[in-house]
Amino acid sequence: MSKVIELKGIKKIYKTGDEDTIALNGIDLSIEEGEFVAIMGPSGSGKSTLMHILGLLDKPSTGDYMLDGQNISKLSVSKQSAVRNQQIGFVFQQFNLLPRTTVLDNVLLPTIYGKPRNNVNAIKLIEDVGLGDRIHHKSNQLSGGQIQRVAIARALIMDPSIILADEPTGNLDTKRSKEILELFRKINKAGATVVLITHEEEIATYADRTIRLRDGQIVTKEEISA
Amino acid sequence: MKLYTIFKQSLKAIFTNKGRSFLTTLGIVIGIGSVIALISLGTGVKSSISDQISTLGTTNITIMPGAGFGGDSSNTGEAQSGHPGGGPPSFALTASTLTKADLESLSDSSKHPQIKLVTGEISASSIFKSSSGDQRYTIIGTSDSYADIQHLDADKGIFFSQQAVASSAKVIVLGSQLSSDLFGDNNPVGKSLILEGMDYEIIGVLNEADANGFTNPNSQAYIPYTAASETFKAENFNSLTVQAESESAIAAVKEDIQATLLANHNITDASLADFSVSSSADLLSTMNGITDMLTSLLAGIAAISLVVGGIGIMNIMLVSVTERTREIGLRKAVGAKMSDILGQFIMEAVLLTLSGGILGIGLGILVGKVIEPAIGFAPIVTSGAILLAVGVSSIVGLLFGVYPAAKASRLNPIDALRYE
Repeated sequence: MSKVIELKGIKKIYKTGDEDTIALNGIDLSIEEGEFVAIMGPSGSGKSTLMHILGLLDKPSTGDYMLDGQNISKLSVSKQSAVRNQQIGFVFQQFNLLPRTTVLDNVLLPTIYGKPRNNVNAIKLIEDVGLGDRIHHKSNQLSGGQIQRVAIARALIMDPSIILADEPTGNLDTKRSKEILELFRKINKAGATVVLITHEEEIATYADRTIRLRDGQIVTKEEISA
Repeated sequence: MKLYTIFKQSLKAIFTNKGRSFLTTLGIVIGIGSVIALISLGTGVKSSISDQISTLGTTNITIMPGAGFGGDSSNTGEAQSGHPGGGPPSFALTASTLTKADLESLSDSSKHPQIKLVTGEISASSIFKSSSGDQRYTIIGTSDSYADIQHLDADKGIFFSQQAVASSAKVIVLGSQLSSDLFGDNNPVGKSLILEGMDYEIIGVLNEADANGFTNPNSQAYIPYTAASETFKAENFNSLTVQAESESAIAAVKEDIQATLLANHNITDASLADFSVSSSADLLSTMNGITDMLTSLLAGIAAISLVVGGIGIMNIMLVSVTERTREIGLRKAVGAKMSDILGQFIMEAVLLTLSGGILGIGLGILVGKVIEPAIGFAPIVTSGAILLAVGVSSIVGLLFGVYPAAKASRLNPIDALRYE
């Protein structure tokens, strides 16, 4: 197995007025191809910042980020857009879809901004996430669970190196949450590398491995209970 | 991102907010509509004037007493601006300077081979008893060649001959309107009319001729200028009309006339000429200059509303960018570059103004059609005006769309996704 993600000494410091806020304080992390990893931590632990850096939505202050063996922490803004388009699939907690747009067009959104490395059939993807009968429904006619299914299909359309899911079940009830998490497990079994960010212990149990964050550093389970 | 994809996305965004999009474009619709209506009115006026002027004859050259008339100053002297008496034509105030000698010298075809016909006019008027009471009619004292220059033919009887002019015969030819005013359907040839106490014999009635917008030849009467000179005690002509043998000869004939009359009047400095020479083309270019100026002035004023419309577009695009912050964040997260977002929002603004422009062209044409019966001539919408409207409305969209689009493209995706 090869390493999809490798972080070395990632620090993120925000300057707020005279005071510096350290969001991430030296993160070393590697994720193998085909892994299902949960990143856990309470609010303020830096997990959102880490997720933004992993998703190339933010740049680290120092440190290196290797994605598929390429150092991408120093790329220009437009190159970063291309990497996001080709190699990263996002599933957010909310505001996931274009309003008043069909399921199919939402799934095809990333293909507007770049050619997929491998052609993936959008209709088949939508059927795989269980929305075969809603392909031409508008996004505002869907339930929360269905919206997340569309978002997952969209994340897979470019055949990315990694799926980044930021609290994907944060707005769903227990039953729907479970279905979505099962779906993540299913796409992971089919070969996708999944990184799930959550603050719930129960959700993290779906993952192969859990990485815990506290005060901008990776800690072990024992350190947290101590 | 392909242009077609941007186009489709933008079109969709516009149709999502149909009502708002329509109201936003209304400013552009009204702006372009009024510009098109005014330009088409201007073009219509111009064409109707040029039609009327061409009925005067395109090879005709008019000589007026007094200085300065017409667009071409080269023949009336290059020192026009320094001429102390320069200014508006003064022929109404001073006695005419165009003599019978002038007419005769221009009529000498051996000296002036490029001149085809020459005639002079002495304008007078007389009161006749018509079916609707006493009325004043214009009497033109002229020569036999007048009928040829003005394309007048006799319906009944004849137009007077050169002999009649030479012998100052008291004969009169009536316009068709005048004839029916005075005699109804009866043939008046052979009857007589009294002008200033003199007995004139009616020798002809003319066919109905085209009115040219300046005079109506049908309600006038024509007598030999020699007879007019005696009857109305008028020594000189109110104007002379020369017909050049061709349009290409006009410039040369004008110079020839200028030189001949200056010599006749013993004037050495052309800027002091007591007459002016102008062709129909000069008149046309003067009139065109005036209508062009008025048209662009009015269209320019109407164009101000386009700026107002453009600001409306900019305003609504800024609102749209704020409303769609999360959409922009999402697009950026899935790989949209700054240029993609910029293109999308500029395209939206241009589509809004362009569709406004197209509706505006329709509105402008409609306004022209509606007012056509009231103004009495047809407004003309040229392809140039349509091209101008399309171009201007696209440019307005581009100009006023850039700022909102740049704002959208610079949004940070994290902030945009978190925006509530």
